Amino acid sequence: MIAALVKYRQAFLVGMQSNLVYRWNFALRGFFSFFHLAVVFILWGAAYQGNGMIGGFSLDQTITYFVAMLVLQFFISAFNEDYQISEEIRNGLINQFLLKPINYFLYRFSIFVAARLVSGLLVLIPLVVALPWLHAHLALPHELWRFGLGAVAMLLSAVIQFSIAFCFGLLTFWFLEIQSFVILSMAVESLLGGQVFPLDLMPPALFRISQFLPYFYQMYFPVAVLTGRLDFAATCQGLLIQSAWVVVLLAFNQFLWRRGLRRHTAVGG
Amino acid sequence: MWRYLQIWAASARYAVVRSMMFRFDFLMWALVEFFWIAVNLLLISVIYSHTDSVAGWSKYEMLLLVGTSLLIQRLLMGLFWSSLFELGRNVRSGGFDFFLAQPGNPLFMASTRKLDPDSLVNLCVAIGVVGYSAHQLGLHPSFAQIALYALLVLCGLVVHYSILVLCVSLSFWITNAQGVEGSYFTLAEFSRLPREAFRGAANVVFVWLLPTVIITNAPARTLLHGFAWHDAVWLVAVAAIWFVIAIWVFQRGIRRYSSASS
Repeated sequence: MIAALVKYRQAFLVGMQSNLVYRWNFALRGFFSFFHLAVVFILWGAAYQGNGMIGGFSLDQTITYFVAMLVLQFFISAFNEDYQISEEIRNGLINQFLLKPINYFLYRFSIFVAARLVSGLLVLIPLVVALPWLHAHLALPHELWRFGLGAVAMLLSAVIQFSIAFCFGLLTFWFLEIQSFVILSMAVESLLGGQVFPLDLMPPALFRISQFLPYFYQMYFPVAVLTGRLDFAATCQGLLIQSAWVVVLLAFNQFLWRRGLRRHTAVGG
Repeated sequence: MWRYLQIWAASARYAVVRSMMFRFDFLMWALVEFFWIAVNLLLISVIYSHTDSVAGWSKYEMLLLVGTSLLIQRLLMGLFWSSLFELGRNVRSGGFDFFLAQPGNPLFMASTRKLDPDSLVNLCVAIGVVGYSAHQLGLHPSFAQIALYALLVLCGLVVHYSILVLCVSLSFWITNAQGVEGSYFTLAEFSRLPREAFRGAANVVFVWLLPTVIITNAPARTLLHGFAWHDAVWLVAVAAIWFVIAIWVFQRGIRRYSSASS
């Protein structure tokens, strides 16, 4: 057990180092994310003019939602894990994992956790710098349960994010190019994950349907819990559905991995 | 000039043949673009289900604006995106040598190497969005108005192209920064917003300093409210200035380029 932990701790440390090497990428990504936030401010600011409330939420609550979404993305969302996995399958790097007692999923997951820890902590720097100005626009709820359950929802969301990226990476066993699949699903994920607009602004029937899809639990759910857009009952129900999706996706990962290996022809070495 | 057009036509022919060979790929990418267009339209539809006006623009006026932005973006994606995206990668990998060795302007050769028929298919969707909004608004633009709209959209294309060239040229200086091309999308987001929504510092930066807002607002206003000289002159001037800056930076970049391959 301890030996296993040491094994993946190494992967975790390597993940951290390689992320610190690419700090330029991070700086660029972070910089342009704040531009995106400017678009959100301008668009929603204009939409709220003459309306005190939209969908039962004030402008500040909506701004808080988008800020939280942005920060959480750096903590839990999968950036390019799918491409990295695809690359490793294509150029034969995964062959070494087939010969050694290392679980490829856990190995990649350790790197993912390390990478998100680095990018998540780094994004706090610009956030703290912007806080004096942002502060007036933030409207965070005060209930303590939100932070506890929100943290659980965040962790489960990270697993869902990674599992979906892992699935797309494994598609490389069947298809040479996965980029179009990834970008297609990115459109669906960002829409149904609540990155384009808060999902609760959709017509109630559509919102209800979206609650049963895995995308809902990728980003929207933890953000909505933390920023006060879901009540206690809805949060508990959400955590149940989210857990179910975690189990389904993990099982599906294993299934794809087994099936994929049967087709794998170990190119390179 | 004629020779360059011939080269471009040859690239186009090659792109069409290629996408007919990889039909599944073509279909997937056409679908990808269509989905992203749908995402933008759904955002408008959700916002307007809660309000009647955003910065004085009604739902269909806004749709016309977004359609115009999508139109310019599809033109850029269809004609130049793949080539310019590869340019950044080639600079990093040293593959750019190949373009320098060709008997032609390096920027032209590198910008027109690949076309994306899938984006050009979605051009029809974007035109459809503009046409549908115009119909819903009961607009009957004159021929001159449509011609001016087309001219301004072309100016918008020039501006987008210049911004993308500037982003990609960064890789001459920052060779280990991947994904600078993505920054283009962030700037393009501003082009879907009405100019009236910009206040204070945002107004100075995004309306006056960066041309991202004017390139869609000027053509959309031409269809909505008719001919406005100052908008047209401004946009043509802005397009010319940004094009010159992009070429200048690109040329400076080439001077710094030291082939990375051995």
